Amino acid sequence: MSDYKLTYFDGLGLGELIRLIFVQADVSFKDVRIDDKDWDTIKPTVTYGVLPTLETEGQTFFQSIAIARYLARKFGLAGKTELENFKADIVIDTFEDAYKPISAYYRFEDGDKRKEELKNDYVNEILPRFLGTLEKLLKSNKNGDEYFVGDSLTWADLHIVDFVPRVERLVKIKVPLENYPKLKNLYERVSSQPKIADWIAKRADSWF
Amino acid sequence: MSDYKLVYFDGQGRGEIIRLIFAAAEVAYEDERIPMDKWPQLKASTPMGGLPLLETQGQQLFQSLAISRFLARKFGLAGKSELDQVRVDIVVDTIEDIIVPIRRFWHLETDEQRKVALRNVYLEETLPNYLNNLEAILKSNGNGDGFFVGDGVTWADLFFLCLVSRFELQVKITDPLEKYPKLKALYDRVKRVTGVAKYLSTRKESAF
Repeated sequence: MSDYKLTYFDGLGLGELIRLIFVQADVSFKDVRIDDKDWDTIKPTVTYGVLPTLETEGQTFFQSIAIARYLARKFGLAGKTELENFKADIVIDTFEDAYKPISAYYRFEDGDKRKEELKNDYVNEILPRFLGTLEKLLKSNKNGDEYFVGDSLTWADLHIVDFVPRVERLVKIKVPLENYPKLKNLYERVSSQPKIADWIAKRADSWF
Repeated sequence: MSDYKLVYFDGQGRGEIIRLIFAAAEVAYEDERIPMDKWPQLKASTPMGGLPLLETQGQQLFQSLAISRFLARKFGLAGKSELDQVRVDIVVDTIEDIIVPIRRFWHLETDEQRKVALRNVYLEETLPNYLNNLEAILKSNGNGDGFFVGDGVTWADLFFLCLVSRFELQVKITDPLEKYPKLKALYDRVKRVTGVAKYLSTRKESAF
């Protein structure tokens, strides 16, 4: 029986980074996936009415990034010094900021002009700007040929393996990594690690 | 000369949580405030084209919450155990979730009618859900008569002050905590913490 139970919907969304941390650390966890149609019934039983939740140490935690950081630190995937922890947090927050604008247009109906405009803004301006920042951040550590932080893989590097497919599924575009060679190289290196490659191969297609 | 320099605009916004952490910890820092008309020239020289920035240990670091966590941990304001630290992060992320929509209709929405409509949805639905959660989190810590986490002030409590400022300055709600007695009492309690009280007594008014 595992010490950890993660509950989320059956897709990438806010749960995948947490799953990747467990996989990379080789720590077993119960990966509970709720069907969309059961959510209304289950919601009142969930402590703060939101997912994902992590049950561990007899308690329930929510807020996906807070959970991810806790586990990353526990499993030695958050950097080796306070300054490295900080730099990993900067990368994580930048990925999160790059993702947030999607929900600004997602609430509009398909065919609404505003959705088209905002989506175009995202694809043509906002996303490239953030990818540029991430490329710069990566290059500032050992010229970008290793990892975002320090000299070993952290949860900051894992986030790219979650961010790229999430954006591609939700926005229905191909993320133009070929314009960001160091990010592209990192993405390929992290994805091809045996445990992660295995996990990615078994991932179901989901719209989010 | 101080070990720390904060660079931000002359207002609260995303810089204030950092100032409050220095204040509560009673640690000196250089508080550089950039006038709006000087910003365009400075912008290109910043790592991500944004503020705040923290300069320390010869580096320029960004992302206000990553900066805050780093300093809070250094100064003992981030929770005393790993579990307390994740609890602090959960409160901070919940408060951030309350703030993000404000930025959206305050800054990004230019159509007056839509701005008013967004504000109304926020006040009638979004905000009560979140404040209920915050009140519940507070109450789950020793009946809610102390601080959010553990037995002393943490940066989660300081970030709560920033949230109330946003209500006053941007959303323009009078008495936003009227229905939340524990949160209201917490607000008063945090303002009285020694370093915080000192800082607030000299804080100038600002538009944001």
